[in-house]
Amino acid sequence: MNLEPSHDGNAKEQQATQSLNEALTAQHDDESVVDVDEPTQQLVLFRINGQRFALPGSAVSEILPSDQPVYYVPELPASTEGVLHLRGNIESVISLNSLLGLPTPEAPPSGMILLVKAAGIRSGVRIETLDDVCDVAQSLLQPPPETLSRSLLPYVSALWQADERQALALLDPEALFAAYQQGLG
Amino acid sequence: MAEKHNSQAQALVALVLFDVGPYRTALEACHVLDMTEHPSAARVINAHSLLYQEGEHPQQPSRWLTLRDTPTASTWQLGVNGEITLQQLPAKSLYPLPTLLQSRHHSPALCGVTFVGEQLVLLLDANKLSLQKP
Repeated sequence: MNLEPSHDGNAKEQQATQSLNEALTAQHDDESVVDVDEPTQQLVLFRINGQRFALPGSAVSEILPSDQPVYYVPELPASTEGVLHLRGNIESVISLNSLLGLPTPEAPPSGMILLVKAAGIRSGVRIETLDDVCDVAQSLLQPPPETLSRSLLPYVSALWQADERQALALLDPEALFAAYQQGLG
Repeated sequence: MAEKHNSQAQALVALVLFDVGPYRTALEACHVLDMTEHPSAARVINAHSLLYQEGEHPQQPSRWLTLRDTPTASTWQLGVNGEITLQQLPAKSLYPLPTLLQSRHHSPALCGVTFVGEQLVLLLDANKLSLQKP
């Protein structure tokens, strides 16, 4: 039995050792970047009118399917879809389009409904599409710039640069509900 | 305590149901004294004008409910449509309007909702209804 590595085998071993070192180094680098103790915030990521938004996960108690029946209640603003009957409770369902300065969709609402609780108020919020539910390091959440559109500024608590293309606005559910109660949207 | 809780769970509320425009609507039966085909009271109001803005769901009443105006102890008549029924519904199935809607609805008399089968029924507060001007 010949235990001497061949020239080719030696090269492979050397290459493998180098790769392992690189892997270990990279792993070490990763560990140095990720602080496991860094506070994170759970975000529910979604879109309205194609624009990306988020709500704090702590404020979203449930994500309801798009086929959840919503009953129209007359003589309410267009931003109110109506009410839904959920396990013995009645919840309002509102649209944020008007409040956020976004065009009102012409087609009937067909996206999911987030059941949002803030400031002691609970309401369904219609979204267009649900993108993700994820944990984000709080250090990555930046204060909204003053250049943010005036229609969004009162309701955005932070921006998150989720990718190179677009920043995502973290909405303040308390500000949204307070504005709605005051007759905005 | 348990008996009280049990009696609340089984309590029934008598309601008079009718149509206002395309929506099923209800008043607490204790406020309804009578029902006639033609108006006869000095004060008559079409329910449409109390619930909807002018020109929306225009419809002539087919029945008139005679209601007692609690503050003045006088009577007045509310014009309604559709099948008029008396139903007793479980108290626990009557829901106040959700908080966000309470601040935005146009009719002060609209106080809650319930369901009869799969149909939404709007609940009206008769006391506030009588105070509304057509």
